[in-house]
Amino acid sequence: MICEKCGVNTATTHIRTVVNGVVHEKHLCSLCASAENYSDAKTNNLSQMLSSMLDNTHISLSNDNVTKCNCCGNTFSDIVNSGKCGCSNCYTTFYEQLLPSLKRLHGSIKHIGKKPNLKNYEKASDDNIDELRELLKSLVKEEKYEEAAVIRDKIKNMEREA
Amino acid sequence: MSYWYNQKAPQSDIAVSTRIRLARNIKEIPFPSKMSPEQFAMVNNIVRTAVENSNQPIAKTLKYISMDNVPEIERFAMVERHIISKNFALNYKNRSIIISEDESICIMLGEEDHIRVQVLLSGLQFEKAYQIAVMIDSILCSSLDIAFDSRIGFLTECPTNLGTGLRASVMLHLPLIENRGEISSLSDSISKIGLTIRGMYGEGTKALASLYQISNQVTLGINEENAIDNLKIITNQLIQKEQEYRKQLNMLKFEDRCMRSYGVLKNARILSSSEMLSRLSDVQLGVSLGILNIKKLPISIIVEGQPYMIMRKMGEMSTDTRDIERAKMVRDLL
Repeated sequence: MICEKCGVNTATTHIRTVVNGVVHEKHLCSLCASAENYSDAKTNNLSQMLSSMLDNTHISLSNDNVTKCNCCGNTFSDIVNSGKCGCSNCYTTFYEQLLPSLKRLHGSIKHIGKKPNLKNYEKASDDNIDELRELLKSLVKEEKYEEAAVIRDKIKNMEREA
Repeated sequence: MSYWYNQKAPQSDIAVSTRIRLARNIKEIPFPSKMSPEQFAMVNNIVRTAVENSNQPIAKTLKYISMDNVPEIERFAMVERHIISKNFALNYKNRSIIISEDESICIMLGEEDHIRVQVLLSGLQFEKAYQIAVMIDSILCSSLDIAFDSRIGFLTECPTNLGTGLRASVMLHLPLIENRGEISSLSDSISKIGLTIRGMYGEGTKALASLYQISNQVTLGINEENAIDNLKIITNQLIQKEQEYRKQLNMLKFEDRCMRSYGVLKNARILSSSEMLSRLSDVQLGVSLGILNIKKLPISIIVEGQPYMIMRKMGEMSTDTRDIERAKMVRDLL
C-alpha cells in the first residue's frame, strides 16, 4: 500500500480512528507519519496521538498565543503539544478551543453521567418531583433502602412546601 | 490472603477478573505532570484525611501507604498483581496509595490524575465492583472539591478520560477465539461501540496465555451504567462464543496437548515466564473443560510466577536463576 500523503513511499503506519461508529483510516509512510506527529507502532504514544488531533482542529494560533490558564500557566499551544491539560481550569479557560477535539475523541461534548453531589446517586434534577418519584421507585426496586429513604423524605418536604 | 488472583468467582474460568477505575481530580491544583513535591504532599494529605475521617465502613478497611517507603521489587510486584500501573511504579516519588488489605481496592494518588480509584475483583463481578467504586467516590466527592464541569463532566489530565472518568474492563481467557484468528476482526467490531481489546501479557500483537483485556474507551456522552452494560453485553457474547468453539474441539487432540503442558509444568527444571504462560493457558482450558483438576487456580500461578513476584519472595536474582526458581515453585504448587 502506498502512502496517501506523498504517494511515493510504502505505507508502514496505519492509523484508524473511530468516532461515533464512523471509521476513518489513514495510511502513511514513516516520514509522513513523523511529520504528522504519529510515531511508529512500538512507541505509539496516546498523548502524541491526542496532540495531533488537537493540532488538526486548532483554528488560529496567532490570535491565541497570549491567553494563559490562571492556575497552571498553560497556553493552548502547551496543551496541543503535550496532549494533556495542566489543571482543571484549563478546560474552562480553553473550553471553546477544546470542543472540536473533544467531539472527535468521544463523538459527544455533553456529559450525561454522574455529578459529584453529596448524594452521588442523584442524577435527577432536584426540582422535579416526578423525576424524584421515579428515582424512588427504582431505588426501592434495587433494594437501596437507605438512599430511597432520603429521596422519600425529600419528596415529602417538597409536597409539604407545594 | 484472599487476593483477587486466588479467588474463584462467577465464570472465572473464562472471565478471569473485572476492574473498575474512576479518575478524579481536585480543583485549583495542577494535574500530576505539572505538580511540585509540595503539591503532591498536599494531595496525599487532603485525600488521606478525607478517607480517614469518613465514617463509612468501607473507609475503615483502607490503609495509607507512601510510595517512597515501598522498595523497588515490591513496587513492580504490585504492577504484576495489577494493583498499580507501570508508570506509577516508575514515577513513584512523592506518590502514595490508599489500599484495602486484600488489595481489591487501590486508590493511586498522583498517577495520571490526582486520584485513581481502582476496584479489582476475580471473575465477572461488574455490579459489585461498581458499587464499591461508587462508595469510594461518594467519600471523595462529599469531602473534597472535585474538579467537575456540568458541560463536560469530571475533569481529567488527559481529555480521553473526561466525562465519567470511568474505565471498566474485564480480563478474558480466549484461547479458541484467538486460535481461529478472530481477535483482530473482534477488535474492529467492538471499537465501533466504544470498546477496545488488548493482550494482557506479551508485546505488540502477541498475547501470551490467550489472556485479553476488553475495556470501554468512550467516557463522554455516555453514562456509567450504559458504559458498563455495553461491556457486559459484549463480555457475555464473547464467553458464549468461546464456549461454543470449545464444544467443537477435538477432545483427544486437546487432551494430549493439555496433559503434555501439565507434564512440563510438573517436571521442568528451567521454566521461562513465556513458556509458563503458554503452558498454563492449556492447563486453564483443561481445567475449564474438566479434563484435569489442580489445586491452585492457573491465574494465581501466572501472577505468582511473574519476575518481581518471585524476587519479592526470594530476593533479587538474574533471569536464569529466576527461571530455575519459577520451575521449582510451579512444581511445588502443582
